[in-house]
Amino acid sequence: MTGELLVFIVLFLITITGGLLMLNLTKVIHMMMALVLTFLGIAGFYIMLSAEFVAVVQILIYSGAITIIMLFGIMLTKHTEAEPKTGWAKKGVVFTGIVLFFLIMFKGIRTISLGPQADDLHVNNTEQIGIMLYTDYVIPFELVSVVLLVALVGAVVLAKKDEKDEKEGEQS
Amino acid sequence: MIQNMLESTPSYLQTGGFFLVGVAMLMVVLGFVTYAILAERKVLGFMQLRHGPNRVGGRFGLLQTVADILKLLLKEDTIPRDADRPLFIIAPVIAFAPAFLVIAVLPLTERISFANIGVGLLYYIAISGITTIGILAGGWASNNKYALLGSMRSAAQMISYEIPLVMSVIGIVLLTGSLNLNDIIAEQQSVAFLFKQPLAFFIFLIASVAELNRTPFDLPEAESELVAGYHVEYSGFRWAFFMLAEYVYLFAMASLTTILFLGGWQAIPYLTFIPGAVWFGLKFISVVFVMIWIRATFPRLRADQLMSFGWKVLLPLALLNIFLTTIVIELFRSF
Repeated sequence: MTGELLVFIVLFLITITGGLLMLNLTKVIHMMMALVLTFLGIAGFYIMLSAEFVAVVQILIYSGAITIIMLFGIMLTKHTEAEPKTGWAKKGVVFTGIVLFFLIMFKGIRTISLGPQADDLHVNNTEQIGIMLYTDYVIPFELVSVVLLVALVGAVVLAKKDEKDEKEGEQS
Repeated sequence: MIQNMLESTPSYLQTGGFFLVGVAMLMVVLGFVTYAILAERKVLGFMQLRHGPNRVGGRFGLLQTVADILKLLLKEDTIPRDADRPLFIIAPVIAFAPAFLVIAVLPLTERISFANIGVGLLYYIAISGITTIGILAGGWASNNKYALLGSMRSAAQMISYEIPLVMSVIGIVLLTGSLNLNDIIAEQQSVAFLFKQPLAFFIFLIASVAELNRTPFDLPEAESELVAGYHVEYSGFRWAFFMLAEYVYLFAMASLTTILFLGGWQAIPYLTFIPGAVWFGLKFISVVFVMIWIRATFPRLRADQLMSFGWKVLLPLALLNIFLTTIVIELFRSF
């Protein structure tokens, strides 16, 4: 057993535990905490794959920002309500679906060849990502920023509309 | 020091060595926290024409914080009946652990540095965000409206001020061409970034005070409005953990300010015979003093002022700083 395998097993256990807890816990806020655990485990995998920049951004965006925004949503809506349990029939259907998915994926993955492994990815990782983004992938990158801008404008429009309604409500 | 250890062959002795180094750093940080609290009370006292602690441990109250900590550890540990037990117990740990984790990337002197990570600066910002989850969990699990309000405020504030904080250091990253904190220090050998990026320093200082939840941005625990904010229901050592996290962040944030803007352990020209540790200590202490000074001077902001200040003043200024920096870099390159 090599050290890499050991680290992989630990990270795998963290990620899977987070996922399982996320599915099995009943309170929404506990689910969020389990989700954070999964995100952190995945960040660990990125570090193992020498993608340190992606790992840190994963923690910053997923474990930090997105989780907190979700927590906000949860706290401002439901407080103590727990999710109802699902029935056995539904569980059976879901389980069969998962088994089928696993078999198909396993069959597909087993014979796949990924080619030779790149071993110089950790050298100037951040710089390489930056250069790639601004040369080979510059058009997708700009398109993503347009999508973000549209989302931002949409949020502003929604917020403005609410404010107007409130004012009208106050006057009438 | 650590570099040699990392390159040596793995053995039980080496693992033990790493553990010892970690424990030693924890002790240094705890020592800092003990005396930072005392220094804060003393400086605040002098600024408000009081004496501050002067009974326990001689004329300067040197053992005051030690006695306070002892009291905290002996206090009864209460968990409210209607609190969410597991989350209530784990929340202080989630809040504290990242505070200690971020210290790993800070190069304190040329030889005392722990992890030389390529994305060190980003690592600090990312990991410190996890504390917010601990605070939110603690506030929610307490099942108390003041705690919940305090934790919501804290999360909103941390998200809003993290953005100007990150944006203000982009100028430094552009000038250095690296996110590695060791490279950033090396870049400041002749001129500290304080003089090259004064606007960024200004934004960074304000945003870091806000990130630390200190006055004038201490809305999450505004004593006069929210009792104590997110840790109302906590007592004893669990409460001490939240407090500890706060002061460990003070240590980390003051170190980061020193490293980013004041040149870290680099000496002022012509005074290189003084060792790096002394320089780092001097710069670090002056940053901590400024933080305490700010606390003694400014009144607390209102929640709406806080948000509009962060988004409408600091963020545009930070963007302006990036814009100016890129223009200057391009001009220098073309001539």
